Amino acid sequence: MTPEIGYALTAVALALALYGAGAAAIGARRGHPALIQSSQHAALGVFVLIAAAMLLLVYAFLTFDFSVRYVAMNTNRGTPFYYRITALWGALEGSIILWSWMLSLYTLLVILRYRTRQPEFYPWVLSVMLGILAFFLLVMTIPAPPFQRLTPIPPDGRGLNPLLEDTGMITHPVALYLGFTGFTVPFAFAMAALITGRIGDEWLTATRRWTIVAWYFLSLGLLIGGWWSYHVLGWGGYWAWDPVENAAFMPWLTGTAFLHSVMIQERRRILKLWNLTLIILTFGLTIFGTFLTRSGILSSVHSFTQGAIGAFFLGFIALVLLGAFGLVAARGDRLKAQGELDSILSRESAFLLNNLFLVAAAFTVFFGTVFPLLSEAVRGVKVSVGAPFFNLVNIPIFLALIFLMGVGPLIAWRRASRENLRRNFLWPVAVGVAAAAVFRLLGVANALALLCFGLVVFVTATILMDFYRATRAKLLSGERLLPAMGGLVIRQNRRYGGFVVHLGILVIALGVFGSNAWSIQTETTLGRGEAFQIGGYHVRFDGLAASEESNHFKVTGTFTVANNGHRLAVMYPAKKFYPQEQTPIAYVDYLMGLREDLYLVLGDFARDGSQATIKVQVNRMVTLIWIGGLILTLGAALAVLPDRKKA
Amino acid sequence: MRRAALLPILLLPLLAWAAPPAGSVNEDTVRQIAAELRCVVCQNLSVADSPSEMANQMRGIIRERLQAGDTPEQVVAYFVDKYGEWILLSPRPRGFNLLVWVLPFAGIGVGLVAVLLLARRWSRRAASEPVAEAIDAATRERIRREMAELEP
Repeated sequence: MTPEIGYALTAVALALALYGAGAAAIGARRGHPALIQSSQHAALGVFVLIAAAMLLLVYAFLTFDFSVRYVAMNTNRGTPFYYRITALWGALEGSIILWSWMLSLYTLLVILRYRTRQPEFYPWVLSVMLGILAFFLLVMTIPAPPFQRLTPIPPDGRGLNPLLEDTGMITHPVALYLGFTGFTVPFAFAMAALITGRIGDEWLTATRRWTIVAWYFLSLGLLIGGWWSYHVLGWGGYWAWDPVENAAFMPWLTGTAFLHSVMIQERRRILKLWNLTLIILTFGLTIFGTFLTRSGILSSVHSFTQGAIGAFFLGFIALVLLGAFGLVAARGDRLKAQGELDSILSRESAFLLNNLFLVAAAFTVFFGTVFPLLSEAVRGVKVSVGAPFFNLVNIPIFLALIFLMGVGPLIAWRRASRENLRRNFLWPVAVGVAAAAVFRLLGVANALALLCFGLVVFVTATILMDFYRATRAKLLSGERLLPAMGGLVIRQNRRYGGFVVHLGILVIALGVFGSNAWSIQTETTLGRGEAFQIGGYHVRFDGLAASEESNHFKVTGTFTVANNGHRLAVMYPAKKFYPQEQTPIAYVDYLMGLREDLYLVLGDFARDGSQATIKVQVNRMVTLIWIGGLILTLGAALAVLPDRKKA
Repeated sequence: MRRAALLPILLLPLLAWAAPPAGSVNEDTVRQIAAELRCVVCQNLSVADSPSEMANQMRGIIRERLQAGDTPEQVVAYFVDKYGEWILLSPRPRGFNLLVWVLPFAGIGVGLVAVLLLARRWSRRAASEPVAEAIDAATRERIRREMAELEP
């Protein structure tokens, strides 16, 4: 019965979401509070129904109910308990349940927060969010139903993709989807602003913190994805410019641009049209990402036609873009800028350039990702666009962005005088140049690394100087040091939260550049008892052991690692053989350090354990990326605190 | 196309097996070439990065061909011959492929010009409009707040 009950739950939720979207819209148009009330109840109902469907699916996973096709495809009797729960989002159908559940949760939060506060916007926000929810529920009922009966019921399931049996896979999709769905809130407010014609700053001020939350979760999702790739995939990297990664990175880039350009509209009343465009693009890209990665279009333009899912998503994207930009066009007369731009040397134009480069990066990633499809369609020749291309094209863009990160927050609004420039930038520029010179003298020869370090030091210096000056001003007015610093951070939480996020990004940038410039690796075959040297490490192969785990067979190598004569660790890289997979899965072992990680991947081995091939990497500064992620978390938490200034 | 690509894949292990042990070949060169090639069985990894057996064998072929006296360009050409352009992780900047190389930078160029033009148009409008207030309300509010913050 489970598949039928589950299907019924999603179908009823779809009907309710459609009703709620319509009721809220009609209620807002005709001024019927009762209809809006009814729509709220519908939203609550949708939330409860999706939650019930999700729990039902989890229950099916836990009880090995292989009459549900999705369960049979993504689990088997050997799958460990926790991964039977997370198998829920192990493939498309379940991911969409999770996605819509989060969207319905955001809808409820919006109801709780705004039902009495934003009488003009609120019903339209509700209507738009329920409309989007209806689309995902439609996908769950027609092209990709998670509840589909499988007959005859197989004795055992196929099993979860082994790469997903990892703690990273518990958290990564959750964070990523919280980010994706979170951008629906500012998008819905933007649509409400266009529909009601109140295209002032209200929708921006109302959604500022929602945007930060969505942006933060998306960042977190990307970072956890990198962490997962680093310690599961066994190639020693955290970012491969894979289409799946690019799909999540594009909305991050446009979302970051949006987060910055709203500040310009708030202060200077310009860029109204641009902000609407950015949020529409960001939302569109979150949907496009799902389309790109789930429709199968990437393997070939021709496989696209095989499933209905691609057509649904493409149709929805077309609808969203046409609808949203149609509304923008209809309100064109009200979107004229009221402010002005006085000089190219101003904070406004620094932000404009920041937006330009972020959108350019998003476009580069977009075009590079879809170019193979274009080439196949136009020339009939398959090409690849991979890491070497994206690195080459994006590096100058990101260096420019880091530079602007230093300029933007300090340069004067409207028109920067020579005095303003000198006062704010003389010292940071000097410190940055000096740092680059010192690194050069220390033996760093890589020009790119020097440029990157110089820029990072420059930006850090601008942030420290700003904080130092503000603290000094407070000290002069009689406050003591710590209360003065704390007061600044709390009272201007937005500004300093932003600075802390910037510091986090700088630390991540150092990690990315450092690991690309200085990591070393080698691959070698060792007999038992043999050892070799890499980057000061002495790695000895001690033997192999085989073991049988609940759902796979595992061959573990034992390696003793020493550094400068004293024993450091015994490491156990392994290979896991899953019956449902043709090729074995590498199980990486690594020794993490602040400066560098020692990273071992077991390759081929002799069956008798007499010799094994081992890939050893010394990955430098990768840990900085994870530390940067923590700093970024602190900064986002600070920025999202309620504004204290009015109090 | 697919079928044709299979043959070399099947033959690869033999070739790798026959390869003499690396000696005179510079491993950095091998790595540089491998980083430009796509591992044919992987999702989206280069031959240099991929931990798969196939990538291992492809590295073996690179090593072997370098040893036989091929230049790096010839090694790359060998793989393009076998697998088609698809094997290159960054498309060769010629013909239709130029589009993917040029368009991002053209976009930035157009964007920069647009920002400059916008700045000029807006600042001219600012100059021609009568200035009612030297400072707008939002800025004045900000000054007031920041002044208040300085006071104990």
